[in-house]
Amino acid sequence: MFFTAIALFISTHLNLTSRGGEVKINVAHGNRDHRLARWAWTITLCMVVNVAAAVDFPPLTGRVVDEANLLSPGTRTQLTERLAQHERETSNQVVIVTLKSLQGLPIEDYGYQLGRAWGIGQEKRNNGVLLIMAPVERKVRIEVGYGLEGTLTDVQSHAIIQSVILPRFKAGKFEAGIVDGTDAILGTLAGTYTPEPVKSASAGKLESAIALGFFSLVFGQFLVGRLRPQALGAGLIGVGTAALIWFLLGTLGLALGMGFAAAIIQLLMNMGHGGGGYHSGGFGGGYSGGSWGDSGSGGDFTGGGGSFGGGGSSGDW
Amino acid sequence: MNMTNKRFLFSLRLIIVVFAALWIAGCGINNVPTYDEQVKASWSEVLNQYQRRADLVPNLVNTVKGYAAQEKEVLTAVTEARSKVAQTQLPPNILTNKEAFRTFQENQDQLTGALSRLMVVVERYPDLKSNQNFLALQSQLEGTENRIAVARRDYILAVQKYNTELRTIPGRWWAAALYPDAQVKENFTAQAGAETAPKVDFGK
Repeated sequence: MFFTAIALFISTHLNLTSRGGEVKINVAHGNRDHRLARWAWTITLCMVVNVAAAVDFPPLTGRVVDEANLLSPGTRTQLTERLAQHERETSNQVVIVTLKSLQGLPIEDYGYQLGRAWGIGQEKRNNGVLLIMAPVERKVRIEVGYGLEGTLTDVQSHAIIQSVILPRFKAGKFEAGIVDGTDAILGTLAGTYTPEPVKSASAGKLESAIALGFFSLVFGQFLVGRLRPQALGAGLIGVGTAALIWFLLGTLGLALGMGFAAAIIQLLMNMGHGGGGYHSGGFGGGYSGGSWGDSGSGGDFTGGGGSFGGGGSSGDW
Repeated sequence: MNMTNKRFLFSLRLIIVVFAALWIAGCGINNVPTYDEQVKASWSEVLNQYQRRADLVPNLVNTVKGYAAQEKEVLTAVTEARSKVAQTQLPPNILTNKEAFRTFQENQDQLTGALSRLMVVVERYPDLKSNQNFLALQSQLEGTENRIAVARRDYILAVQKYNTELRTIPGRWWAAALYPDAQVKENFTAQAGAETAPKVDFGK
């Protein structure tokens, strides 16, 4: 909001200054050109200002993002393994972040926005936690996602920061503070959720593609079912299905596959002529009923889409 | 053959209509009600967090009283501000009612102010500051103030999006044609000191 205000200010300012030169420009190019140019300038400026205004978040390179270099590589690996293990057991995503700078924001403002930007925690459960350290500003914060606010309460986060993390930080033992703090957080969180298989995004897409394919098959029957030759009708249904899925889900491969399947099914159904009916359970047999999200496998780590609302506690040393 | 052709043309037209409908849906016809729902959702989060704060206050006041009964003035201010917040009836149209919205904000800001004064006063009582119950309440209050700040910011953004949609083209045309009841909604204004939660230094 603040930056939009700046953009507005600059653009009005620009209008004013250019108004000063209007007479001259009017003579040269005519009023309309001038106004157009002014608009173009305003828009460009607004865009530039808006881009510059966004807070920079470090890239999510893993479960331990050590921008400030507080941890040794060995500890980093150890912590990463422990956090991955915790996610396998509970589906909670806990991420440790050390920052070079808070970019002038209070750590409370930075923390929840970082959590949202990274999408830490599973989407439906919002069960993410960030342990954030900013050694330059000497601030530490435990940021708790919506879904864990009842387990890792403000009081508990406060206690962990005050009695586990800060005493070690004050003694200059950053590694020990982070490791013990992480242990305390994981201990509090243990047993909160059981890891139901969380459907990955691609599985969800496959499901909707099948539903859409089915819909377009029924709908297509209506429209072109009696069209002769049969291949034309089947082809139309196939193309329509593919177009629909591509349009709505945006996955070309899936769209082409489902379109092809729909065309074949249409042909097969018409072959029996009158018999048959829909084999609604017949297609999509390869679908395994849910699989682990990529994030669970311990390889490339990505956020599950969880959100944050300012839960947790902060401290400084 | 002629029959088939007609039928084919008919279905083609139907497909075009269906796609046109989908295209329009992608073109913002649903934006006004969608953003309206987002505003409502973020407003209830704001109310929720303010309620949570109001629920904390009596307990907090009682705990402080046990150690610092002589700070009558500050304690009374907190209690009064709290009861004002609790007693004010919110009209159903609060989001479009300028007067009611301002009153709501003023009352809440008053409680914010009274609470932060209380938290400053409390610094003078070391016994109170080492009381476990008080420390718990204090960190809860801190967390709640922070959640209020986040909820308010989310609400501000949601209203901004909704109001912009109502005031700019093409949202303005959709609203005029289809959602004549849609009104620009009230937003929070930042006031001096209103946004800052009572800050407490635990380290000292």
